[in-house]
Amino acid sequence: MSIVDEARSLTQDAAPVPPAAWRPSGRSGSARALIKTIRVAVALIVVAAVWEGMVRGFHIKPAYLPSLSAIAGAVAIAPQAYAAGFIRTLTETLIGMVAGSAFGIAIAIVFFRARVLREMVFPIFIVSQTIPVIAFGALIVLWFGNTLFSKAIIAFYLTFFPVTVNTLLGLESVDPRQEALLRSFGALPQIFVALRLAASLSLIGAIVGEWFGDTTGMGVLLLQHMFNENFEGLWAALIGSAILGTGLYGFVGALERRIVFWGAAS
Amino acid sequence: MNARPLVSRAAQRGILGFALLLVIWEGTSRFFALPTYVLPTVTGIVQALVDGRGALAHAALYTVGEAVAGFIVGAAIGVALAIAITLLPWLRAGLLPVATAINSVPVAAYSPLVLLWFGVGPSSKIVLVAMVVSFTVFLSALAGFDRVDRRSIDLLRSFGAGRLVILWRLRLPTALPLIAAGLRVSTVRSVIIAIVAEMLGADGGLGWLIYQAVVQIDFVQVWSAIFVASAASLIFFALIGFAERRVIFWR
Repeated sequence: MSIVDEARSLTQDAAPVPPAAWRPSGRSGSARALIKTIRVAVALIVVAAVWEGMVRGFHIKPAYLPSLSAIAGAVAIAPQAYAAGFIRTLTETLIGMVAGSAFGIAIAIVFFRARVLREMVFPIFIVSQTIPVIAFGALIVLWFGNTLFSKAIIAFYLTFFPVTVNTLLGLESVDPRQEALLRSFGALPQIFVALRLAASLSLIGAIVGEWFGDTTGMGVLLLQHMFNENFEGLWAALIGSAILGTGLYGFVGALERRIVFWGAAS
Repeated sequence: MNARPLVSRAAQRGILGFALLLVIWEGTSRFFALPTYVLPTVTGIVQALVDGRGALAHAALYTVGEAVAGFIVGAAIGVALAIAITLLPWLRAGLLPVATAINSVPVAAYSPLVLLWFGVGPSSKIVLVAMVVSFTVFLSALAGFDRVDRRSIDLLRSFGAGRLVILWRLRLPTALPLIAAGLRVSTVRSVIIAIVAEMLGADGGLGWLIYQAVVQIDFVQVWSAIFVASAASLIFFALIGFAERRVIFWR
């Protein structure tokens, strides 16, 4: 097993879920998208109805599961905090994700061209991935202050290496006789695998980064509600983070279907 | 195994890379006389490692215990779910979207809730690690079971083999490499998740140690805990990788 494969197994799900367009169908793209949207919407409504009904019907304590209406009430009390937190965390995540992906791809190209450099630096990067993000976060916040920038750096740190590994795998899997331009196209499916991963990792970095005494953000809300044992607020923050996570993942997936029209890597 | 030199050229360069990093680190820190909260010297960290070895070893064992317990529970749940879906295909349409949806929620978001539910003791960390590991193992095991050639299944079926026999004789051997890969990814992740959860509240462990060191602004201690955590993750990773090579000899 090569060191790149080894690194990949450190940083990536062994079997990522294939993107939505994996089931071949005779329908046109837009019709399929519409049907899919309707199906998801119906599923969400059913889940919401079952949730609300179960909590009310069985008188489940809020500590175990608050009702959806109670969660909506928690947001309605302080909508500004949630809106501001959502935008703040989204900004941190996006900065970390874009910077991490750009840096990851650039490093992969350097490593692809210079084998010696790769053999010397790659193992260090691998070990860096075993550093728990909170320990790293503590140092970053100390170095750069409790700013949006330092959260973005934490997100960046979690993001860039998986992108490097997957881009490198993509570049290596392409036929070396192809022209440079074609080669970069050949690596694209694998790069998108990395970007999907980058979306979720970057969000984790942003949330954990906010745990070091920030004042705005989804991570802050999660932590505050945990300390106050405010279950409705905690669930509201959890759902907000879930929307961020699925939204970013879905956005990268949509981008992938647009750009890598000839088929995605699994 | 081919006869290879004891240390390959790639490994030599890797070691050289580490040596250079340590020398540059030590040199920068000493030459610019950086305060410890910016960057302590490597020798200072090693000194702290030696001095605090008792407390560090205790914390490491605590964290690794949580990680390994969660890892085992999570791996069992993940494989069991994948087997259930394979044996009862009608479960797939219901379970897979739910698993994918929960998997897209960042771990960091539901860890405060798990902490409130299961308390600050080790059980909340074990639950969190088990959740994350079970998703990873579930998805890789399922991909492995699905990878089987349709014609081989038809062939076995024509000999009168039932679903259980097909699972045991055909699907499991085909899926093992992917399951093993899923387990390998989960090792490092389970240690990191245990540590992250300990930061939110715990009565021991490396995450707790790091958190307290941060509060006391003792950054040499933070670094020594980082060294121990990395070493623990790498050992766990290497052990599972070793077991994988022993079990899946046909790969």
